[in-house]
Formats: sequence, C-alpha cells, structure tokens
Amino acid sequence: MATTQTTTGPVVPATPGTPEGGPVEREFTVKARSQRQQIVGRFLHNKVGMTGAVIFVLLLAFGFLGPLVTGVDYADQDSGFQSVPPGTAGYLMGSDAIGRDLMAGIMTGVQRSLFIVLLFVAIAFPMGLLVGALAGYFGRWVDSVLMRLVDLILTVPLLVVLIVVASNFPGSRTPLGVGIILGLFGWLDLARIVRSQFLSLREKEYVEAAHAMGASNVRIIFKHLIPNSLGSLIVWTTLAAATAITLEAALTYLGFGVNGANQTSLGRLVSDGVQAASTRPWLFYFPGIALLIIVLSINLIGDGIRDAFDPSNRRVRA
Amino acid sequence: MFFFTIRRLLASVLVLLVSSFLVFALCAASFDPLEKYYTQNPRPPESFFNNLRETLGLNDNFFVRYWNWLSGVVTGDFGETVNGTPVTEQLWPRLMVTGRMIIGAIVIAILLAIIVGVIGAVRQYKASDYTFTFIAYILIALPTFWFAALLKEYVAGGVNDLFGQQLLYTIGEETPGLSLYASGWELWSDRLGHLVLPTISLAALSFAAWSRFQRAAMLDVLGSDYMRLARAKGLTYRRTVLKHGLRNALIPLTTVVALGVGTLFGGAVITETVFVWHGMGEYLLSNGIDQNDINVVLGWLLVSAVFVVVFNLVADLLYAVLDPRIRLS
Repeated sequence: MATTQTTTGPVVPATPGTPEGGPVEREFTVKARSQRQQIVGRFLHNKVGMTGAVIFVLLLAFGFLGPLVTGVDYADQDSGFQSVPPGTAGYLMGSDAIGRDLMAGIMTGVQRSLFIVLLFVAIAFPMGLLVGALAGYFGRWVDSVLMRLVDLILTVPLLVVLIVVASNFPGSRTPLGVGIILGLFGWLDLARIVRSQFLSLREKEYVEAAHAMGASNVRIIFKHLIPNSLGSLIVWTTLAAATAITLEAALTYLGFGVNGANQTSLGRLVSDGVQAASTRPWLFYFPGIALLIIVLSINLIGDGIRDAFDPSNRRVRA
Repeated sequence: MFFFTIRRLLASVLVLLVSSFLVFALCAASFDPLEKYYTQNPRPPESFFNNLRETLGLNDNFFVRYWNWLSGVVTGDFGETVNGTPVTEQLWPRLMVTGRMIIGAIVIAILLAIIVGVIGAVRQYKASDYTFTFIAYILIALPTFWFAALLKEYVAGGVNDLFGQQLLYTIGEETPGLSLYASGWELWSDRLGHLVLPTISLAALSFAAWSRFQRAAMLDVLGSDYMRLARAKGLTYRRTVLKHGLRNALIPLTTVVALGVGTLFGGAVITETVFVWHGMGEYLLSNGIDQNDINVVLGWLLVSAVFVVVFNLVADLLYAVLDPRIRLS
C-alpha cells in the first residue's frame, strides 16, 4: 500500500484538496494490489488449484450440458439392451441390469450429488457460522454451553448419527432429504473453526477501535470478524463439500441414503456398482471413477484456496 | 498430571452420560421394536402387543426407562435385546473382532502417516513429495467401500495366485467353525489372513488425511529458528530432523489422531459390511437399527464413545510428554 511520499523538494504548506501532480499511484512503477487481488492472483497461479478448478468445470459441463447433447434420460429402460458392455449401440458406458444408460445415469448423478452438496452447505454453513461466532465472540457461558453441545455431538460418530436419523425417516431417502440430514449434522467442525478464529480476532486492535467508535456487536461480527476469517470459511466449505459427497456414498452403501425409485446420485451408482464388480465391471468402474474425480477436483480447489489465503505453508513465496 | 487425569476422567463420564441420554431420547422417540409385528399377517392379537410392551418396559415413563438402563450399565449390565438376550455378553466377542481390525489399522495408519508426512516435508516439491501427495489425495477422495472392493478383486486374487494357496480371505473374520476345533497357530494364522485386507482398507481411510497434517506440521517446524540453531551447532541434518523436528511436529498429529478415532470407529461399520465381519458394525446395523433395538444401539454408542474419550485423554497426556513446556494441572 502506498503510504509514503518519495518526492523531495521545498516543503509546501499543506492545503486541503487534491494533491498537485496528479494521483499518487502514478509515481510508482509497481501497481498496488488489494489483498483480494493478491489472493485471486495467487490462486490463478496455483497449478494444483487451477487443475482442480478446470476438472471441476469440465465435470459440471459433462453433468449439466451432457444430457442436452445426448438427449438420453436415465429413467428410460430398454429391455433389448440390458447389461450391455460399454460401446454397444450408443451405450457409451454400457447399461445396467434393467437397460438404463449408465452415462446418462452418471450425468444425472453428478447433478444430484451437487444438489446434495449445495443443500448441505446451505444448511451447515449458517449453522456452524452462527454457533461458532456466538461462542467465539461472546465467550463466557455462551461459549461453554455451545462448545459442550458441539463436543457432545462429536462423541457420537457422524456416520452413526446419520444412520439413526435416516432410518427413522425412511421417507427422506431422496437427494433432498439426504442433503438436509447431512447439513443438520455437518456443521460441528465449522463451529469449532469459526470459534477459534473469533477468539483471536476479537482481541485485535481494530475490533477495539470499532468498539470505541460505537459499532454494534452485529456490525463488528459481520463487518470485521467474518471478512477476516473468510479464508478458513472458504476452505472449510470446499473440503466439507468433498466430504459430503463421500459421506452420501457411504450412507447409501449401508442402505440409508438415496433410495427412491427414480432417484439417483453418484453415491447410489457407486454402491450399486460395487455389487457388480466382477460380473459387469463397467458398472463398478465408471461411477467410482466419476465420484473419485469430482471429490478429487473439489479437494484440489480447496487446497489451492488454502495456499492462496495462507502462503506461509510453503518455503517459496508465491 | 495425576489430578488433571482425574478431572478429565470425571468430565468424560459426564459427557458420556449426557450423550447417552441424547441418543436414548433420539432412539426412544423414533424406534418402535414392535414395528415388525404390525405388518405380520395375520396380525397378532392386541394382548400380545400389550404383553410385549410390558416386558420391554415401553409403558414406563421415558425418564424411568433411561434410569433403568443407566442403573443397569453402572453395574455392567447393558440390558437385553428385543429378543431377550443380554447385550453385555454379545458386545464383548464382537468388540474383540472389531478391535483386532481397528487397533491394527490405527497403528499402521499412524506409522505410515508419520513416515510419508516427514518424507513429503523434507523433500518438498521433489518427485517423492508429489507422488505421496497424489496418492494421499486419491485415497481421500475414494469411497472406502469402493477401494475395499478393489482390494478384494485384485490384491486378494493376486496374492493368492502368487503363493498358489488361499492366504488372504475376502469375507468373514475367520473360516466358519474353525474356532470350534482349532486353536493356537492354526487359528490365528487363519484369522491373520482374514485380517489383512480389512485392516489395509480401514488404515487407508485415515492414513491419507493424517499424512497431510503431518506434512504441514513438519514444514512449519522445519522453517523454525531452533532447527537452524541445531544445525548451526553442528548436528547432522538427519539428527536435527528426527530428534528436534519430528518430536515437535508430532503434537498436531496426536490431536488429529485422537479426533479421528471416532471417524475410524464409524468407518469400521462400512469396512465390516464390505468384508462381512461379524463385529460391532454388523451388530449396530442388523441387530440394533434394523430391529429398532435401543439397548443395542446404546451399547454400541457407549463402547465407541469410550474409545473416543480415552483417546482424547491419551492425546492430552501425550502433549505433556512431547512438549515439556506444557504443564498439566
């Protein structure tokens, strides 16, 4: 940030108004960059992160534009083409036991999985942020109560909570229901992260200054604390999104996930495919690889963002 | 240290109490052990239901039920299943079965995570670092059951073909009925053959993420001043890394491992399902949740919660061992 004047010469008495000689920036050869620009720049130069981003965009195109191009609906069953191997008669990735096109299935699965993830983040993010922010900002008994609650839920393995809840609501085995269930129990680690960030940030001088100028608690939280913990928030979101996809797959494999007649998701395709690993390998490999690629790309993006926000973890400054 | 341990143990007992209460509430509100009889044709008479409700104690007040369960647990009695068999007697053998897998997986995962993490940090941006990073990412992204299916398909088949005999088994925790007549080496070698694949797949679940933490912690440590000082004083590089660096870089890992044990226990449910083990996971799913059996679910939960609590305590005690500046009490 340009704060010092480099010009030398006779001391001119200060007069209000615009400085003479044009804007200050002209004097420097290096353009000042805001923090946001630096972060974006670092991300764009991060090979790992960009690879992930490109793969992710390609997958999105495959999932959302693909069905428009092929024009095949996953729900279509063709009794003449049951369990055909890849490449047969327009079935690029083969078909399943009741003649549904696997490629159309994967496209739909990508869509549904992303829907689940969006729902998950939309529910878990505000909850974790709220609980973590309240605990970290107000401290004292609010902190104790909220954090003990989080600890409590953490003693029970997440998968088990999800299984118990999902088995109690058999009607919830749609992408909508699974997304909501995942979201309701997926905010615990976010709450801890936000709390630890807020605990250190609220002691900073600028928060004190904001207090002194009469800013309300709400304003301090939203205008000062949240923007300053944005890095870990974004990183959490990407990594949790990746976890949500694998969790959904695990839940479905155990028989408590997406289960409706014409519902599908990557997790369901994978868990269906596992049963057919040796007899119809395409049903096993293609959905698994699709899921692997999507989770991998999201993880890589998250890693790139983490590096962009906090370059201290590498020996070379980027 | 002694008083710290006592205090932590007391707090843990409290946590266990409240979490068991929450799960009890969750299950009691939604589980109906009589559900399977409703759809029976012909439907049993109403007196049958009343009778069963009375024996299972479903007519009691919610708090009374919890109190009955709790007072039983304190004396080591986890109650009875809906079919009338005691839970306590079933938990122990199943815990042994799952324990074999989990303990092995934890040890392997920690050792691998440390080795891979340290190599990745010391040789940052070299080919080995990139290779390990790539493998770690793939393992993190893979669904466990898919990876396990791959193991069953290729590793088991490959190894068995290589040695010309059945060394690795893909299902079960021992050859059925073997424990009835065999003992000693014959029994345990058979169990070992059954153990290898599940342990690998369970270890892979945690090892990848842990190795990333270890690498990050090690990188932090390698850049610190005391490492440079140690080098300046003439210690060899290997010695600085292993003696000074590793010791300090292990502290974050202990936290992560302690927190990860809960996940591992949950992950064991999947692994057991894939490899058809009759352990805790199967007990939870088919005897507990499928049968709407509160006592079984709570028994499972309590065992897993004890695992989590104990490991967190061990992690706290390890901090003090690893970092003498930390004084507990």
